[in-house]
Order: sequence, then structure tokens, then C-alpha cells
Amino acid sequence: MTGLGAVTPVGTGKEEVWASLLAGRLGFAPVASFDTSSFNVHLGAEVRGFSPARYVRRQDPGRMGRASQLAIAAARLALADAGLGGEPVEAGEPVEVTAVAPELAGVAMGTTSGEPREVERFDDRYLAGELDAVGAEFMTLYPCHMIAAHVARELGFAGVNTMIPAACAAGNYALAHAVDVLRAGRAELMLAGGADAFSRITYAGFSRLGAIAPERCQPFDRRRKGMIPGEGAAVLVLEPLDAARRRGARIYAEVAGYGLSCDAHHMTAAHPEGDGAVRAMSRALADAGVAPEQVSYISAHGTGTPTNDRLEAIAVGRVFGAETRVPISSIKSMLGHTMGAASAIEAAVCALAVANDEIPPTMGLEDPENDLDYVPNVSRRLHVEVAMNNAYAFGGNNASTIFRKCELS
Amino acid sequence: MIPASGAAGRRRVVVTGAGVVSPLGDSPAALHRALAEGASARKPIELFETAGIGCREAGEIRPFDPQGYVGERNLRPLDRTSRLLVVAAQLALADSGWAPGGQPRPAGAQPGPARPPGEPSATDPQPAAEVGLVVGTTFCSVRTIAEFDRRALRLGPTHASPLDFANSVINAAAGQAAIWHGLRGVNSTLAGGEASGLQAIAQATELIRAGRADAVLAGGAEELCFESFLGYYRAGRLCGSLDRGAVERPVPFDARRNGFSLSEGAALLMLEEGSAAAARGAAVRAEVLGWGAAFAAASGEAGMADAVARAVRLALADAGAAPAEIGCLSASASGSPAVDRAEARGVAAALGERAADLPVTAIKAMLGEGLGVSAAWQAVDLVETIGDGILPGIAGLERLEPGLPLPLPETAPAATRRLEPAARRRALITAVGADGHCAALVLGAP
Repeated sequence: MTGLGAVTPVGTGKEEVWASLLAGRLGFAPVASFDTSSFNVHLGAEVRGFSPARYVRRQDPGRMGRASQLAIAAARLALADAGLGGEPVEAGEPVEVTAVAPELAGVAMGTTSGEPREVERFDDRYLAGELDAVGAEFMTLYPCHMIAAHVARELGFAGVNTMIPAACAAGNYALAHAVDVLRAGRAELMLAGGADAFSRITYAGFSRLGAIAPERCQPFDRRRKGMIPGEGAAVLVLEPLDAARRRGARIYAEVAGYGLSCDAHHMTAAHPEGDGAVRAMSRALADAGVAPEQVSYISAHGTGTPTNDRLEAIAVGRVFGAETRVPISSIKSMLGHTMGAASAIEAAVCALAVANDEIPPTMGLEDPENDLDYVPNVSRRLHVEVAMNNAYAFGGNNASTIFRKCELS
Repeated sequence: MIPASGAAGRRRVVVTGAGVVSPLGDSPAALHRALAEGASARKPIELFETAGIGCREAGEIRPFDPQGYVGERNLRPLDRTSRLLVVAAQLALADSGWAPGGQPRPAGAQPGPARPPGEPSATDPQPAAEVGLVVGTTFCSVRTIAEFDRRALRLGPTHASPLDFANSVINAAAGQAAIWHGLRGVNSTLAGGEASGLQAIAQATELIRAGRADAVLAGGAEELCFESFLGYYRAGRLCGSLDRGAVERPVPFDARRNGFSLSEGAALLMLEEGSAAAARGAAVRAEVLGWGAAFAAASGEAGMADAVARAVRLALADAGAAPAEIGCLSASASGSPAVDRAEARGVAAALGERAADLPVTAIKAMLGEGLGVSAAWQAVDLVETIGDGILPGIAGLERLEPGLPLPLPETAPAATRRLEPAARRRALITAVGADGHCAALVLGAP
């Protein structure tokens, strides 16, 4: 992994996001993108002040949805971070990506909702009796595969192009797919990530489930009241190790392995003993050839809902032992739940933790539910040899990814 | 880039069965027969009101009675897309001799209805083997998503439907089918428009090759609904939606084509690692020899043709097959003016001389465009062709577009034909998404 870009509720770009997360900065504010007066909760984690035209240079930003815009921004930031061009410029044409042939450069993106605002616009017209106003744009903007398509068109990437709508584990799924594509020799450069736009559909759904916290997001705290919906995008640059070394790239971490599983239990509730999560973590460890005691840090799914955090702790205990002292933190305590972007942002954070030997805290943690080390409220310096990133989703889709320090030898 | 003929030492991926739900039949054999007869899936839509829409026909599955397949278990939590997929999975498990819960039947056991009515799924926490599920779809259910949103807007968020919300995620059908059948292996959903189904088969193939799974159901699912039908009508993509009075049927590659006919259904292949399938005595219907994928990053027909050509070349290289070895093609062509032309040009560019007399079918002439399920239908039908040598024709095709580099006969281009055994050993599928996603798959005789 040689580059990363992120657009999040606590900042844009690697430096700002990482500094915010280490400082424990919260990204919550009253929702601005729609009226929440009919809800009994009002906080959201929106990306404020985002300027699509700064990043969308080869296409008309007005002719794509917000998730696509966020994804393109993250992709350009990631390529620039990797030293591969693509950085946004104030005037003139964007820098072209020249490191690899276009047909060997691919895109794998994850999402929960795709471009939900396009279907919301359709519904507004439906309820207003104005369906005559629906034009061609509904089908050219709405399908979720347009996110990966827009990123690839923007950058001229003509290789593998995959959209994986695996809900809230989608970022990890996209990352896993990109790893397979590279390992099979089907590409020399992959952009992998996730993107989601703030949506009244998502907000209404989690609100109806009673899953949204009214004031604070406190993963793993006894008094936690839920998650806070968010939005954002993150993209990672992945290359084969030898290619990265040949061009002298800075390497954040090796993507050492992944594991996927399905609960086959319930659409919205995890398995009561965390079976699916255990299998995803175990498969990832086996794939990476890493023993549980070698893991230095776990980036939790950690939504802040009573059920998720309880079951995730059970699953971690089953894999790492009930007495484990491996540090576990949830950056959703700061970012909220950015849906399909969440595990992509968390993967970026794992890579930064491995590269910088520092881990972000779980904020809002005052009364931990159990004795696991949740890195309460203050970031921590420690040697991070191996980091594991957990993500769980509606539909029982589970995905764990593993990042390992990559010595320059 | 891809090792030429990766076959040496690689885990083989075989097809041991299939399940299909379509407007032209609910078994691979029935669908294949209907396609060979040139039947049409089009009928007046009854699923929703078409008042105010200039097109009234689609490939609606009617009647669709899921309980006739899966028994009296509670279907209420499942929307139409999930029901289609659950039925296809049921049929595919039974066809390939797998019991629910991911446990294979003993070799030689008769496949039958896979589950007695009312029996709960997945009671065994430690299944002997875990079957995965990889599903291609464009929307999963844009109807469920839109209905959820409209209900919350009309009645207020406290009256939003938790059930609809659970199904609003685009991986909902894959999740529901996993719950229903106790499928605890890899579970993934891919969205790539008309190429989704081949992307799903390709990903499942890679998972098996890499040793991450031994058995994966792979294919696609898509429902017919008001939202997508109106959307494609307004986008001018449906046959008859732009030129009133022009031909109102989908005619791939025909000079008169003016759009596709929207359709719905689900289809899944059971893909298994070769030696595992042999060990349990499973019948092997075909082998997945290779796949390729590419994206049309440059807009326009030339960019699309180039992506099609690259996908085909990659699939051939992955399969270790020369163009001359390809016996027939199941094309993606749906009646879309620009996309059909780009596909023909791309295939011709990749196959060179072989394209001059290659037998070609385009089953969307009969079935219509099923988006996420389309390529899975193509794969299910081509496995049948490998079995019996019958390649469906292209119903309605009368005047091949002049200059199209396709080897369709000048006379009777629409006819179903019988292939020589040699032409059934290697078969090619192309899947072309209008938004640029291109995929190709090479299937081989067992």
C-alpha cells in the first residue's frame, strides 16, 4: 500500500485526517443536508465545505452523484500521496497518471447506498406528482457501479473495474478484491476504497431501528446509545511489492491478507456468538500467516450500537483469548459511521498506524463494558507490527483485513 | 500480463449444476428449449401501472410463485429480488446435489426438493463444507429503496419500515439467500450493470482457484419494477421508447434496433473445485476455463469496442485458448444501437480470422435485458449448448446492420443451429455494460 486519500467529516487528505483522529476531534454536527425536524435525533457526520470542482477535472461534476465526487477526490489525493500524479491543481489540466499502462490500472470500490440522493430526487418528484420531470439522468447517475466508473473515467484507468455494494463492510470487500486482482497478475496498480453520500434514507432507517445516538457516539462504553450516520470516501493505492520497490515508492504497509464470511443468520443483527466475525478474523489471520498474539492493533467495526459492540467484543475474545490485551479502538467514535466508506477509511488508518507506530483512540469512553483495551480517549504510541481491520454489514457480510509492516530491504 | 495458459497446476473450476428463474422457463433445460424455439419473454406488464409510459411490455415473470419452489416458510421478509434469488439458489443446490446448510448429499443421492417445507436453515454450526454465494446485480431492489423512502416521507420517519430498510442495502438479496439456505461461505455482491453476472462468476472462479472456497453459487438477480422501467424509458434505452412506430422488439445487431426489452429473473451456477466435485461424485456439466475484464475509460464507441476486445483477449489468455479453438459465442447484444455495434467490433478485433465464421447467438433477442442476471442466463444457456450442441438463434433478426463485422449468415441469420462436437469444446460469453464494464468468459466441455 503506497498511497492513501480520504475525505471525511474530520478532514480531507492524509495529514488532516490523521492529525484529527490522533487528537480525538469529533466530526458531529446537526444535519445540514436535509431537514431533521421530524426526527427525534439530529446529529450527523457530514463532510462540510467539499468542493467537487477542485477534484473532478475531466468530467462535469454536476453530472455525477455526491458519492462519485467524494470518491474521485479520495482517488486523486491517494495517487498524489503515492507520488503517481493525479493531484488536483488550481488551474489548468490535472497531472496525468503515467506510472503504468492504463489497461493495467484498475478500480475496486465499495458502497452501501451508491448514489442515494438520485433515488431521493426521484421520490420527491413521485410524491409531488411530477414524474414527468424525471429524465435520462436518473439511470445515468443512480446505479451504484457509476462510482467506480466515474473514478476510472476521471483517471483514464481502463483495467478491472469492480463495484462491491457489500454495505458497511464494502470498503474491506473492495480491498480484498483488489488484492486478489494484483496477486493474480491482472493489474499492476489498483485503487481500492469505499464511498457513501449522506442520505435521508440511511438516516431514516437507522433512526427507525433506534440505532442513532442523540448526543455522542461512545463505542464500547456501557452507556452507549448508538451510532451516528456519516459520509465520506477513502481510496488506497495498491501495487505489487516489487513494482513499488522498483519505483522507490514509500510503502505504508503490506496488505498481508483478508478473510470473508457470512453469518447466514439475520439481515440486520449479528450472530449471537459472533460466529461470522470469528470466521472472518480467523481466515484473515490464516491468509496472512499471522498468529493472534502477533497482532498489535485492531481497528474495530465499533459502531457504538449496544449490540454490535457487545458481539464484536465476544468475537475478539474468541479469536484472541478472553484475557487479550491487544489494543482495540473505534474511530467511528469521531467519524461516525461513514457506511461503505467506513472500512476503507479504517484500512487507511491501520496502514498509518503500521507506518507511524501510533494508534488513534476510542473517544467518549468513560465506563468500558469490559476489560479489553479500547485505547480510551487518548492516542497511543506503540510498535505496530500488524494491524487488523474488522468490518461487519447488513446481510451478515463480514470482512477482516490485515496490514503488516513492510521493511525496506 | 496473465500467464499464458494458467492451467498448469491451477485448481480447476467446474460447473456441477444451475438454477434459473426467468420469464422463459424455470430450469436450464426449459429455458434452453424456449430460446431455441425463438420464444419471446415480452408481455404486457401487470406488476405496476404503465400509464404515461410509452412502453407497456417487458419480460415479467408471471405467475411467480416462490412457495411452489421453497415451501410454506415465511416469505414476507423477502422482496421480489430476494425471492427470485432464493428460488434460483434452491434450484441450483438441488440440481447440483447439495443439501441446504452447505452440506453435500452423499454421492449418488437423488437431488430433489432441497428442503422439506418449514424446516429451518442452518442448524448445524459446523458444516462439513461451506458454500459461498456471489451475486451480480444492478439495483438489487431500487423499488424497495424507493418505497422505504416514500413511506418515511409520507408518514414520517417513525413510520418507516424496518423490514424495507433491512432490504434497502444492495447486498440484501445475497444476504437473504444466505440466511434462507444456510450459506456461510464467502458472500459477495457485485454491481457492473449488464456485466454484473459475469463479474460474479469471475470472482467466484478466483476465490476457488485461490483456495478460498471449494463451492460457490455464482450468477445474478434483478427484478422488474416501476422505478427502473420508467428510468430506462426516460433514458431512451427501451425498444420503442424513442422512435414511436418503429420496431418494438429487441433485435440485437439488426439495422432496425432501437433499444432493449427490460426483463427480470435470477440464475446461479454451482461452481466447484474440480477434485472436490469429483470426490463427491458430482456430474460435471462444463468447466470455467478463463475470464477477462476491462473498462471503457474513454467514452464513445471506439473505447467500448477496445474494452470488449481486451476482455476477450484476457479471457482467451487465461483459458489458454487460441481464437481458432472458440466454437461459438453468446453475445451480450440487447438491441442497443451503439453498444451492440461496439461489441461486434470488439469481438471481431479480438478473434481476428476466427470471427469470420463464428456461430453467434444473442439470447436477449428472446429474453430481453435482465441487467444483473443477463450474463448468468447466458452462462446457464451456454452450458446447455455445450451439452446438446444446440445454439439458439437470434429471433427477429432480419437485416443485419450493414458493415457490422459479425459472421451472421446473410440468409436466415435468426435461425437456431446445431453445432458440431468440435464447436462445443470451447464456448465464449461476452457481457457488455452500457456504462463501460466489459467481461468475457470461456467455458469448456467437461
